[in-house]
Amino acid sequence: MRPPPGRQQLSREFITQHQRARIIAALAEETVTRGYRAVTVADIVRRAGIARNTFYENFSSKQDCFLATQDYAVEEALRRVVDAATEVESWQERVHAGLAAFLGYVASDPALARTCIVEALSAGPASLARYEESLQSFVPLFRIGRKVSPRAEQLPETFEELIIGGIFWVIYQRIIRGETEQIEQLLPELVEFALNPYIGAEAARRATA
Amino acid sequence: MAADPKTPDSATEYPPELSRLPPGRHGLPREFVVHNQRERLIAGLAEAVAENGYASTTIAHITRHAAVSRRTFYEHFNSKDECFVAAYEAVMEQLRERVDAAYQEQDEWPQALRAGLAAMLSFLAAEPNLARLSMVEALVAGPVVVERYDAAIRGLVPYVEAGRDGRPSAVLAQLSPTTEEALVGGMVSLISRRIIAGQTEELEQLLPDLVEFTLTPYLGTAEAAKIAQAD
Repeated sequence: MRPPPGRQQLSREFITQHQRARIIAALAEETVTRGYRAVTVADIVRRAGIARNTFYENFSSKQDCFLATQDYAVEEALRRVVDAATEVESWQERVHAGLAAFLGYVASDPALARTCIVEALSAGPASLARYEESLQSFVPLFRIGRKVSPRAEQLPETFEELIIGGIFWVIYQRIIRGETEQIEQLLPELVEFALNPYIGAEAARRATA
Repeated sequence: MAADPKTPDSATEYPPELSRLPPGRHGLPREFVVHNQRERLIAGLAEAVAENGYASTTIAHITRHAAVSRRTFYEHFNSKDECFVAAYEAVMEQLRERVDAAYQEQDEWPQALRAGLAAMLSFLAAEPNLARLSMVEALVAGPVVVERYDAAIRGLVPYVEAGRDGRPSAVLAQLSPTTEEALVGGMVSLISRRIIAGQTEELEQLLPDLVEFTLTPYLGTAEAAKIAQAD
Protein backbone atom coordinates (compact mmCIF):
# COMPACT_ATOMS: atom_id res chain seq x y z
CA MET A 1 0.00 0.00 0.00
CA ARG A 2 1.31 3.41 -0.90
CA PRO A 3 1.53 6.03 1.83
CA PRO A 4 -0.60 9.15 1.37
CA PRO A 5 1.16 11.85 -0.66
CA GLY A 6 1.70 14.13 2.35
CA ARG A 7 3.60 11.48 4.21
CA GLN A 8 5.76 10.65 1.26
CA GLN A 9 6.69 14.31 0.85
CA LEU A 10 7.74 14.44 4.45
CA SER A 11 9.82 11.33 4.28
CA ARG A 12 11.60 12.48 1.14
CA GLU A 13 12.49 15.69 2.86
CA PHE A 14 13.61 13.67 5.83
CA ILE A 15 15.79 11.48 3.64
CA THR A 16 17.35 14.50 1.95
CA GLN A 17 18.11 16.11 5.30
CA HIS A 18 19.55 12.88 6.54
CA GLN A 19 21.70 12.46 3.44
CA ARG A 20 23.03 15.99 3.65
CA ALA A 21 23.88 15.50 7.31
CA ARG A 22 25.73 12.29 6.48
CA ILE A 23 27.66 13.90 3.66
CA ILE A 24 28.58 16.87 5.86
CA ALA A 25 29.76 14.58 8.64
CA ALA A 26 31.78 12.57 6.11
CA LEU A 27 33.38 15.69 4.67
CA ALA A 28 34.41 16.80 8.16
CA GLU A 29 35.94 13.40 8.97
CA GLU A 30 37.81 13.27 5.67
CA THR A 31 39.03 16.85 6.00
CA VAL A 32 40.43 16.19 9.45
CA THR A 33 42.08 12.96 8.27
CA ARG A 34 43.56 14.13 4.96
CA GLY A 35 43.46 17.91 4.96
CA TYR A 36 41.02 19.76 2.73
CA ARG A 37 43.17 19.89 -0.40
CA ALA A 38 43.73 16.13 -0.51
CA VAL A 39 40.09 15.17 0.02
CA THR A 40 38.21 14.00 -3.08
CA VAL A 41 34.49 13.60 -3.67
CA ALA A 42 35.20 9.86 -3.89
CA ASP A 43 36.57 9.93 -0.32
CA ILE A 44 33.47 11.71 0.95
CA VAL A 45 31.12 9.36 -0.90
CA ARG A 46 32.92 6.31 0.46
CA ARG A 47 32.92 7.61 4.03
CA ALA A 48 29.24 8.60 3.85
CA GLY A 49 28.27 5.25 2.33
CA ILE A 50 26.21 6.86 -0.41
CA ALA A 51 26.19 6.82 -4.20
CA ARG A 52 28.24 9.39 -6.11
CA ASN A 53 25.00 10.56 -7.75
CA THR A 54 23.53 11.27 -4.35
CA PHE A 55 26.44 13.54 -3.58
CA TYR A 56 25.90 15.52 -6.77
CA GLU A 57 22.15 15.72 -6.15
CA ASN A 58 23.01 17.64 -2.98
CA PHE A 59 26.20 19.51 -3.85
CA SER A 60 27.81 20.74 -7.06
CA SER A 61 31.42 20.21 -5.91
CA LYS A 62 33.72 19.54 -2.99
CA GLN A 63 33.95 23.27 -2.37
CA ASP A 64 30.18 23.66 -2.46
CA CYS A 65 29.95 20.87 0.10
CA PHE A 66 32.60 22.53 2.27
CA LEU A 67 30.79 25.87 2.27
CA ALA A 68 27.53 24.09 3.11
CA THR A 69 29.30 22.39 5.99
CA GLN A 70 30.39 25.76 7.32
CA ASP A 71 26.84 27.13 6.98
CA TYR A 72 25.41 24.09 8.69
CA ALA A 73 27.80 24.35 11.64
CA VAL A 74 27.20 28.08 12.11
CA GLU A 75 23.43 27.68 12.00
CA GLU A 76 23.58 24.83 14.44
CA ALA A 77 25.94 26.71 16.75
CA LEU A 78 23.75 29.81 16.69
CA ARG A 79 20.66 27.73 17.38
CA ARG A 80 22.31 26.09 20.39
CA VAL A 81 23.66 29.37 21.72
CA VAL A 82 20.34 31.17 21.41
CA ASP A 83 18.40 28.24 22.92
CA ALA A 84 20.73 28.17 25.91
CA ALA A 85 20.71 31.94 26.32
CA THR A 86 16.92 32.25 26.36
CA GLU A 87 16.76 29.92 29.35
CA VAL A 88 18.21 32.59 31.62
CA GLU A 89 17.36 36.20 32.43
CA SER A 90 20.25 38.66 32.52
CA TRP A 91 22.59 39.41 29.65
CA GLN A 92 25.57 38.32 31.76
CA GLU A 93 23.96 34.94 32.36
CA ARG A 94 23.11 34.72 28.70
CA VAL A 95 26.72 35.22 27.65
CA HIS A 96 27.69 32.53 30.13
CA ALA A 97 25.02 30.09 28.96
CA GLY A 98 25.60 30.85 25.29
CA LEU A 99 29.36 30.36 25.50
CA ALA A 100 28.85 27.16 27.49
CA ALA A 101 26.60 25.86 24.73
CA PHE A 102 29.10 26.88 22.07
CA LEU A 103 32.06 25.22 23.76
CA GLY A 104 29.90 22.16 24.41
CA TYR A 105 29.12 21.96 20.71
CA VAL A 106 32.81 22.25 19.78
CA ALA A 107 33.75 19.50 22.25
CA SER A 108 30.91 17.24 21.10
CA ASP A 109 31.94 17.25 17.44
CA PRO A 110 35.72 17.70 17.20
CA ALA A 111 35.87 16.86 13.48
CA LEU A 112 33.25 19.43 12.54
CA ALA A 113 34.83 21.99 14.87
CA ARG A 114 38.28 21.49 13.38
CA THR A 115 36.87 21.66 9.87
CA CYS A 116 34.99 24.91 10.46
CA ILE A 117 37.34 26.71 12.87
CA VAL A 118 40.79 25.60 11.64
CA GLU A 119 40.61 24.07 8.15
CA ALA A 120 38.14 26.69 6.89
CA LEU A 121 40.88 29.30 7.16
CA SER A 122 43.19 27.45 4.80
CA ALA A 123 40.66 25.89 2.42
CA GLY A 124 40.69 28.83 0.03
CA PRO A 125 39.39 32.37 -0.31
CA ALA A 126 35.69 31.44 -0.46
CA SER A 127 35.70 29.47 2.76
CA LEU A 128 37.89 32.06 4.49
CA ALA A 129 35.37 34.75 3.56
CA ARG A 130 32.54 32.51 4.74
CA TYR A 131 34.36 32.00 8.04
CA GLU A 132 34.71 35.75 8.52
CA GLU A 133 30.99 36.22 7.76
CA SER A 134 30.12 33.56 10.27
CA LEU A 135 31.97 35.40 13.04
CA GLN A 136 29.89 38.46 12.20
CA SER A 137 26.69 36.55 12.84
CA PHE A 138 27.57 36.42 16.54
CA VAL A 139 27.95 40.21 16.78
CA PRO A 140 24.28 41.01 17.61
CA LEU A 141 24.32 38.58 20.54
CA PHE A 142 27.14 40.50 22.20
CA ARG A 143 25.95 43.94 21.16
CA ILE A 144 22.96 43.57 23.51
CA GLY A 145 25.56 44.04 26.26
CA ARG A 146 25.66 47.73 25.45
CA LYS A 147 22.23 47.99 27.07
CA VAL A 148 23.65 46.99 30.44
CA SER A 149 26.98 48.75 30.08
CA PRO A 150 27.46 52.03 31.93
CA ARG A 151 29.82 52.99 29.08
CA ALA A 152 27.50 52.02 26.23
CA GLU A 153 27.91 55.36 24.49
CA GLN A 154 31.70 55.35 24.54
CA LEU A 155 32.35 51.71 23.61
CA PRO A 156 34.18 51.52 20.28
CA GLU A 157 32.15 50.23 17.38
CA THR A 158 34.46 47.27 16.75
CA PHE A 159 34.43 45.79 20.26
CA GLU A 160 32.09 42.92 19.48
CA GLU A 161 34.23 41.87 16.53
CA LEU A 162 37.36 42.06 18.66
CA ILE A 163 35.80 39.96 21.42
CA ILE A 164 34.46 37.31 19.04
CA GLY A 165 37.73 37.20 17.11
CA GLY A 166 39.60 36.72 20.38
CA ILE A 167 37.33 33.89 21.51
CA PHE A 168 37.68 32.10 18.18
CA TRP A 169 41.46 32.52 18.19
CA VAL A 170 41.74 30.94 21.65
CA ILE A 171 39.53 28.05 20.53
CA TYR A 172 41.58 27.71 17.30
CA GLN A 173 44.80 27.44 19.31
CA ARG A 174 43.32 24.73 21.54
CA ILE A 175 42.12 22.75 18.54
CA ILE A 176 45.49 22.81 16.76
CA ARG A 177 47.15 21.72 19.98
CA GLY A 178 44.78 18.74 20.11
CA GLU A 179 42.99 19.97 23.23
CA THR A 180 39.47 20.02 21.84
CA GLU A 181 38.16 17.66 24.48
CA GLN A 182 39.18 19.97 27.32
CA ILE A 183 37.85 23.06 25.61
CA GLU A 184 34.95 23.51 28.03
CA GLN A 185 37.46 24.34 30.76
CA LEU A 186 37.94 27.69 29.04
CA LEU A 187 34.41 28.78 29.90
CA PRO A 188 35.08 31.07 32.91
CA GLU A 189 38.05 32.77 31.20
CA LEU A 190 36.19 33.43 27.98
CA VAL A 191 33.11 34.72 29.80
CA GLU A 192 35.25 37.16 31.75
CA PHE A 193 37.05 38.22 28.61
CA ALA A 194 33.73 38.90 26.88
CA LEU A 195 32.05 40.72 29.76
CA ASN A 196 34.99 42.83 30.95
CA PRO A 197 34.71 45.65 28.37
CA TYR A 198 31.00 46.09 29.10
CA ILE A 199 30.78 45.84 32.87
CA GLY A 200 34.38 45.92 34.15
CA ALA A 201 36.64 43.18 35.44
CA GLU A 202 35.15 42.84 38.91
CA ALA A 203 31.56 42.50 37.82
CA ALA A 204 32.70 40.16 35.05
CA ARG A 205 34.41 37.94 37.58
CA ARG A 206 31.31 37.88 39.81
CA ALA A 207 29.20 36.87 36.81
CA THR A 208 31.33 33.77 36.20
CA ALA A 209 31.28 32.66 39.84
CA MET B 1 64.32 39.88 -21.77
CA ALA B 2 62.00 42.81 -22.49
CA ALA B 3 59.98 44.47 -19.78
CA ASP B 4 56.34 43.44 -19.89
CA PRO B 5 54.21 46.45 -20.88
CA LYS B 6 51.38 45.10 -18.71
CA THR B 7 53.41 45.53 -15.56
CA PRO B 8 54.50 49.15 -15.51
CA ASP B 9 54.91 49.04 -11.71
CA SER B 10 57.71 46.54 -11.71
CA ALA B 11 59.34 48.37 -14.59
CA THR B 12 59.36 51.67 -12.72
CA GLU B 13 60.36 50.16 -9.41
CA TYR B 14 63.39 48.29 -10.68
CA PRO B 15 65.90 49.43 -13.26
CA PRO B 16 65.05 47.18 -16.21
CA GLU B 17 68.65 47.10 -17.44
CA LEU B 18 69.51 44.93 -14.43
CA SER B 19 67.51 42.06 -15.80
CA ARG B 20 68.55 42.52 -19.42
CA LEU B 21 72.26 42.48 -18.92
CA PRO B 22 73.98 39.15 -18.75
CA PRO B 23 75.62 38.47 -15.40
CA GLY B 24 79.05 39.98 -14.96
CA ARG B 25 78.76 42.42 -17.88
CA HIS B 26 77.15 45.33 -16.03
CA GLY B 27 79.99 45.87 -13.58
CA LEU B 28 77.88 45.09 -10.53
CA PRO B 29 79.17 42.56 -8.01
CA ARG B 30 77.46 39.21 -8.51
CA GLU B 31 76.37 39.11 -4.89
CA PHE B 32 74.50 42.37 -5.28
CA VAL B 33 72.69 41.12 -8.34
CA VAL B 34 71.78 37.84 -6.68
CA HIS B 35 70.47 39.61 -3.59
CA ASN B 36 68.61 42.05 -5.74
CA GLN B 37 67.07 39.29 -7.85
CA ARG B 38 65.85 37.53 -4.75
CA GLU B 39 64.21 40.70 -3.48
CA ARG B 40 62.63 41.30 -6.84
CA LEU B 41 61.25 37.79 -6.89
CA ILE B 42 59.80 38.31 -3.43
CA ALA B 43 58.22 41.60 -4.48
CA GLY B 44 57.05 39.95 -7.70
CA LEU B 45 55.39 37.18 -5.74
CA ALA B 46 53.60 39.70 -3.51
CA GLU B 47 52.26 41.52 -6.55
CA ALA B 48 51.26 38.31 -8.33
CA VAL B 49 49.51 36.94 -5.25
CA ALA B 50 47.65 40.22 -4.69
CA GLU B 51 46.46 40.02 -8.29
CA ASN B 52 45.60 36.34 -8.58
CA GLY B 53 45.35 34.89 -5.08
CA TYR B 54 47.89 32.34 -3.89
CA ALA B 55 46.29 29.24 -5.42
CA SER B 56 46.08 30.70 -8.94
CA THR B 57 49.50 32.33 -8.91
CA THR B 58 51.99 30.64 -11.22
CA ILE B 59 55.74 30.94 -11.46
CA ALA B 60 55.19 32.73 -14.77
CA HIS B 61 53.17 35.40 -12.96
CA ILE B 62 55.96 35.85 -10.44
CA THR B 63 58.78 36.09 -12.98
CA ARG B 64 56.76 38.53 -15.09
CA HIS B 65 56.17 40.85 -12.12
CA ALA B 66 59.81 40.49 -11.07
CA ALA B 67 61.03 40.94 -14.66
CA VAL B 68 63.46 38.03 -14.37
CA SER B 69 63.73 34.77 -16.26
CA ARG B 70 62.25 31.48 -15.18
CA ARG B 71 65.76 30.12 -14.80
CA THR B 72 66.59 32.89 -12.38
CA PHE B 73 63.54 31.93 -10.34
CA TYR B 74 64.80 28.36 -10.05
CA GLU B 75 68.26 29.56 -9.07
CA HIS B 76 66.67 31.02 -5.95
CA PHE B 77 63.68 28.83 -5.18
CA ASN B 78 62.57 25.29 -5.88
CA SER B 79 58.88 26.09 -5.94
CA LYS B 80 56.20 28.70 -5.55
CA ASP B 81 55.69 27.51 -1.97
CA GLU B 82 59.33 28.10 -1.15
CA CYS B 83 59.23 31.57 -2.66
CA PHE B 84 56.12 32.32 -0.61
CA VAL B 85 57.80 31.23 2.62
CA ALA B 86 60.73 33.54 1.85
CA ALA B 87 58.34 36.39 1.08
CA TYR B 88 56.37 35.75 4.24
CA GLU B 89 59.52 35.75 6.36
CA ALA B 90 60.76 38.95 4.73
CA VAL B 91 57.48 40.75 5.39
CA MET B 92 57.25 39.55 8.98
CA GLU B 93 60.82 40.56 9.67
CA GLN B 94 60.12 44.09 8.48
CA LEU B 95 56.90 44.23 10.43
CA ARG B 96 58.56 42.94 13.60
CA GLU B 97 61.39 45.48 13.26
CA ARG B 98 59.00 48.40 12.89
CA VAL B 99 56.76 47.30 15.73
CA ASP B 100 59.66 46.61 18.02
CA ALA B 101 61.43 49.90 17.29
CA ALA B 102 58.24 51.90 17.93
CA TYR B 103 57.52 49.92 21.09
CA GLN B 104 61.04 50.29 22.53
CA GLU B 105 61.04 54.03 21.99
CA GLN B 106 58.44 54.62 24.71
CA ASP B 107 59.13 54.44 28.42
CA GLU B 108 55.64 53.60 29.65
CA TRP B 109 53.93 50.37 28.65
CA PRO B 110 50.56 51.81 27.58
CA GLN B 111 52.25 54.30 25.27
CA ALA B 112 54.67 51.65 24.03
CA LEU B 113 51.83 49.31 23.14
CA ARG B 114 50.02 52.12 21.41
CA ALA B 115 53.14 53.02 19.42
CA GLY B 116 53.70 49.38 18.44
CA LEU B 117 50.13 49.00 17.24
CA ALA B 118 50.34 52.28 15.34
CA ALA B 119 53.51 51.07 13.61
CA MET B 120 51.85 47.78 12.66
CA LEU B 121 48.75 49.44 11.23
CA SER B 122 50.70 52.05 9.30
CA PHE B 123 52.99 49.42 7.78
CA LEU B 124 50.04 47.29 6.66
CA ALA B 125 48.07 50.29 5.36
CA ALA B 126 51.04 51.53 3.34
CA GLU B 127 51.74 48.09 1.85
CA PRO B 128 48.39 46.58 0.83
CA ASN B 129 50.03 43.76 -1.14
CA LEU B 130 52.22 42.74 1.78
CA ALA B 131 49.29 43.12 4.18
CA ARG B 132 47.24 40.72 2.12
CA LEU B 133 50.15 38.33 1.73
CA SER B 134 50.94 38.16 5.43
CA MET B 135 47.46 38.29 6.95
CA VAL B 136 45.22 36.54 4.41
CA GLU B 137 47.11 34.59 1.75
CA ALA B 138 49.49 33.07 4.31
CA LEU B 139 46.58 31.02 5.61
CA VAL B 140 45.92 29.37 2.27
CA ALA B 141 49.58 28.84 1.38
CA GLY B 142 49.96 25.43 2.97
CA PRO B 143 50.77 24.02 6.41
CA VAL B 144 54.37 25.27 6.58
CA VAL B 145 53.28 28.88 6.24
CA VAL B 146 50.27 28.41 8.51
CA GLU B 147 52.59 27.20 11.27
CA ARG B 148 54.78 30.25 10.83
CA TYR B 149 51.71 32.47 10.80
CA ASP B 150 50.50 31.00 14.10
CA ALA B 151 53.97 31.42 15.60
CA ALA B 152 54.20 35.03 14.37
CA ILE B 153 50.90 35.89 16.02
CA ARG B 154 51.93 34.19 19.24
CA GLY B 155 55.07 36.34 18.99
CA LEU B 156 52.92 39.41 19.65
CA VAL B 157 51.80 38.08 23.04
CA PRO B 158 54.83 39.32 25.06
CA TYR B 159 54.20 42.94 24.05
CA VAL B 160 50.75 42.73 25.59
CA GLU B 161 51.80 40.54 28.49
CA ALA B 162 54.26 43.24 29.61
CA GLY B 163 51.14 45.08 30.81
CA ARG B 164 51.09 42.76 33.82
CA ASP B 165 54.33 44.20 35.18
CA GLY B 166 53.80 46.43 38.17
CA ARG B 167 50.01 46.05 38.11
CA PRO B 168 48.31 45.83 41.55
CA SER B 169 47.68 42.28 42.73
CA ALA B 170 43.92 42.87 42.67
CA VAL B 171 44.16 43.52 38.93
CA LEU B 172 46.49 40.58 38.33
CA ALA B 173 44.12 38.26 40.16
CA GLN B 174 41.45 39.11 37.62
CA LEU B 175 43.59 38.35 34.58
CA SER B 176 43.12 34.85 33.26
CA PRO B 177 46.03 33.02 31.57
CA THR B 178 44.38 33.34 28.16
CA THR B 179 43.92 37.13 28.35
CA GLU B 180 46.82 38.01 26.05
CA GLU B 181 46.05 35.23 23.58
CA ALA B 182 42.47 36.46 23.28
CA LEU B 183 43.48 40.12 22.93
CA VAL B 184 46.03 39.40 20.21
CA GLY B 185 43.66 37.01 18.42
CA GLY B 186 40.87 39.57 18.49
CA MET B 187 43.09 42.25 16.96
CA VAL B 188 44.51 40.01 14.26
CA SER B 189 41.04 38.75 13.38
CA LEU B 190 39.69 42.29 12.99
CA ILE B 191 42.67 43.41 10.90
CA SER B 192 42.35 40.37 8.62
CA ARG B 193 38.63 40.96 8.19
CA ARG B 194 39.26 44.56 7.14
CA ILE B 195 41.92 43.43 4.64
CA ILE B 196 39.57 40.82 3.17
CA ALA B 197 36.91 43.51 2.88
CA GLY B 198 39.34 45.65 0.85
CA GLN B 199 39.73 48.28 3.59
CA THR B 200 43.48 47.91 4.02
CA GLU B 201 44.19 51.57 3.44
CA GLU B 202 41.85 52.60 6.27
CA LEU B 203 43.45 50.27 8.82
CA GLU B 204 44.98 53.12 10.81
CA GLN B 205 41.50 54.26 11.81
CA LEU B 206 41.32 51.16 14.00
CA LEU B 207 44.10 52.38 16.28
CA PRO B 208 41.98 53.90 19.11
CA ASP B 209 39.73 50.81 19.19
CA LEU B 210 42.66 48.39 19.34
CA VAL B 211 44.44 50.42 22.01
CA GLU B 212 41.35 50.65 24.22
CA PHE B 213 40.62 46.95 23.73
CA THR B 214 44.11 45.78 24.72
CA LEU B 215 44.62 48.20 27.61
CA THR B 216 41.22 47.59 29.25
CA PRO B 217 42.06 44.38 31.15
CA TYR B 218 45.16 46.02 32.69
CA LEU B 219 44.12 49.63 33.27
CA GLY B 220 40.35 49.45 33.44
CA THR B 221 37.95 50.84 30.87
CA ALA B 222 38.17 54.56 31.74
CA GLU B 223 41.96 54.82 31.74
CA ALA B 224 42.22 52.64 28.62
CA ALA B 225 39.79 54.90 26.77
CA LYS B 226 41.73 58.00 27.83
CA ILE B 227 45.00 56.69 26.41
CA ALA B 228 43.26 55.41 23.29
CA GLN B 229 41.84 58.87 22.56
CA ALA B 230 45.10 60.75 23.31
CA ASP B 231 46.89 62.41 20.40
